[in-house]
Amino acid sequence: MTRNTLQRLLPLALLATVLCLPLAVRSATYLHIMILVYLYAYLTTSWNLVGGFAGVLPLGHAAFFGIGAYTSTILSLQYGISPWLGMLVGGVIAAAVGVLIGLPTFKMRGAYFALATIAFAEGFRVMVENIDKLGPFALNGPRGLQIPPLNFGLAEMMFSGKEPYYYIILIMLVAVLLLTSFISRSKLGYYLNAGGEEPEAAMALGINVARAKVIAMAMSSFLTALAGTFYAQLNLYIHPKSAFSLDLSFEIAFIALIGGRGSIVGPVLGALLLRPVSDFSRIYFGDTLPGMHLIIFGVILILVMTFQPRGLQEPLTRLYERLLDRLSGERRAA
Amino acid sequence: MNILQKIAVPVVAFSMLAGTSAFAENVKIGNIEPMSGPSASLGQQGKAAREMAVEEINAAGGIKSLGGMKLELIYADSESKPEKGVAEAERLINTEKVHLLTGCWNSAVTYPTTAVAERYGIPFVVPVSVADKITEQGFKTVFRIAAKDSWWTRDQFAFLKDMQAEFNTPVKKLAFVYENGDWGTGFAAQWKKLAEEGGYEVVLDEPYPSTSTDLSPVVQKIKRAKPDVLLLTSNAADAILLTNTLAEYNVQLKAIIGSGGGHADPSFMKAVGKNAAQIFDIGEWETDVNKPGAKEANEKYKAKYGQNLSGEAVDAYLAIYVIADALERAGSLEPAKILEALRATDLSSGPGMIVGYDKVAFDETGQNKHAALVIVQVNDTGNGLERITVWPKNARRAGYTPVFPMAVK
Repeated sequence: MTRNTLQRLLPLALLATVLCLPLAVRSATYLHIMILVYLYAYLTTSWNLVGGFAGVLPLGHAAFFGIGAYTSTILSLQYGISPWLGMLVGGVIAAAVGVLIGLPTFKMRGAYFALATIAFAEGFRVMVENIDKLGPFALNGPRGLQIPPLNFGLAEMMFSGKEPYYYIILIMLVAVLLLTSFISRSKLGYYLNAGGEEPEAAMALGINVARAKVIAMAMSSFLTALAGTFYAQLNLYIHPKSAFSLDLSFEIAFIALIGGRGSIVGPVLGALLLRPVSDFSRIYFGDTLPGMHLIIFGVILILVMTFQPRGLQEPLTRLYERLLDRLSGERRAA
Repeated sequence: MNILQKIAVPVVAFSMLAGTSAFAENVKIGNIEPMSGPSASLGQQGKAAREMAVEEINAAGGIKSLGGMKLELIYADSESKPEKGVAEAERLINTEKVHLLTGCWNSAVTYPTTAVAERYGIPFVVPVSVADKITEQGFKTVFRIAAKDSWWTRDQFAFLKDMQAEFNTPVKKLAFVYENGDWGTGFAAQWKKLAEEGGYEVVLDEPYPSTSTDLSPVVQKIKRAKPDVLLLTSNAADAILLTNTLAEYNVQLKAIIGSGGGHADPSFMKAVGKNAAQIFDIGEWETDVNKPGAKEANEKYKAKYGQNLSGEAVDAYLAIYVIADALERAGSLEPAKILEALRATDLSSGPGMIVGYDKVAFDETGQNKHAALVIVQVNDTGNGLERITVWPKNARRAGYTPVFPMAVK
């Protein structure tokens, strides 16, 4: 087999494997963990549009996630609107908020930008925690919103088994991966890259860096909000501390840093490593060594940051290339 | 659990994902508790109390109607986060194949988690999570041992009324300060209603996040509002912070009334020392409760785990005995049979009945009808600071006169 066909076949084989996975993994628990892996891979890929390509470090994506979760949940609880539609409404609102946040903050550099985005996200959380009713919409303050598990079905995006959730988030993940790989090779991708690395040089070349960043932010916020709706429908309960949690914003950034910021596969690799570690260590140590999972998480983070500061994506890509060489017996064309 | 088992469990689980458990000879009770995070100390107490009850029951021959079957406890950490509790409930039911669930202490975790148990038809015994709505969801699988929060607030106001009459000290102005979660806001909503009915003036209504590291802005508001009585709903760390900050700012009040939780946590008195003196607190249980077996159970617990039983621990201890009683009568591990037996519970004796009230029986919502509360005052009568039962008056410790209003410090 030639190297080229292999290179085309392997991703397809991988896709076929993940599509068939629920046939082999019958346990709802492990399927749930896989769903969370995909969810975080999706979130981090969406984040990567800004945090990776545009070279800034946004730490407030929980705001968009929460907007998505709350918008679709309120619309479905109070007005009976399908979460699929609510998802898009939430996405549009989040994109608008993303632009509003982006316009002033993209002028800031480095830590200032990161801090400003944290402040916005925390501001949203505190507001939602302290607002019982926003006009006609019941936010329920710190008590959160529970979606009664009554109307199962595709239209209501609510299922008694885990398999439908698995496929929904898998499709979302594949779609967002295709989108980012398309963008990374588009004019917008090059603008973002140039603006991220050398903003002055890029501007001197006539690139509207600020505009490119705001467009990326709008897309990133829109996509993040869709995941918020998915999360609400998966757990059937949201409250400000879960939907707007700072932990979520940080975890997305950690996954990106460990997997490899700015690359297409980095977020997926990061989620694939960190999520199961967090879940399995909680399951197996939560009983005997409480808090252990948090320590393990921290140690991995420190090790990767020390020895692979550009993320695991680099050595793993090299490994993959070597595997392709070995399998095909050809050398990679330089 | 040794290391080998720890490795074997995931391996076995992976290799026979769909298979049933090979260790089916025990009754498996899944317990979702905050083992890490802000409420970890309460989770640990619940764990210790459950363990003590299970050891006693197993040593006495297990569940006799099931051929001496032993009870086995499986723990899961909620980290006080609802989504973790929900995921863990699903795991315990689907992977560990538990027969019953208990937990989760934090009302915000218990609320969505009971919905999972209801979906799978698995009995869920809630030792203590006080939000009313937990037993108001129309669920058939939820049973709560402890009193719900509307009963707590009802008794706090009844106590306040009795104290004014007994000591001839009128109280007009109230301040409400509470953690802004499910629990605190639930209490505050009841307080507002009761204050209106009782003709009190509410001079401060202040929620705060229980993860705060500085509560001096809240204390300054209390000082400015000049209330007669301060009602609090706090978790452990914030109860300590609030009490110390109140002392630091020298806020003068006629009474401070806690709502259990953090104020009942053993770490509270250790951390605040004499600043805790004369604070009232409501709870389900005290070490000086006049019930057969209570003293012995407390001594055994203290020898084993190094602290006194708390209300939370006693609820967890009793919950295991309620479960054992139901299993004994069910004579089956079928969820429907266990549920039926739990519904028919009428427990008034046995080692678990060291609570202040006399009986456990559930109403149609799953709430224990007989659960009741006591009010204590933290004070030093020569044996160091302790929690002294003061209300209801017939349960008051002999020879103790409550300090009301608080002495000017």
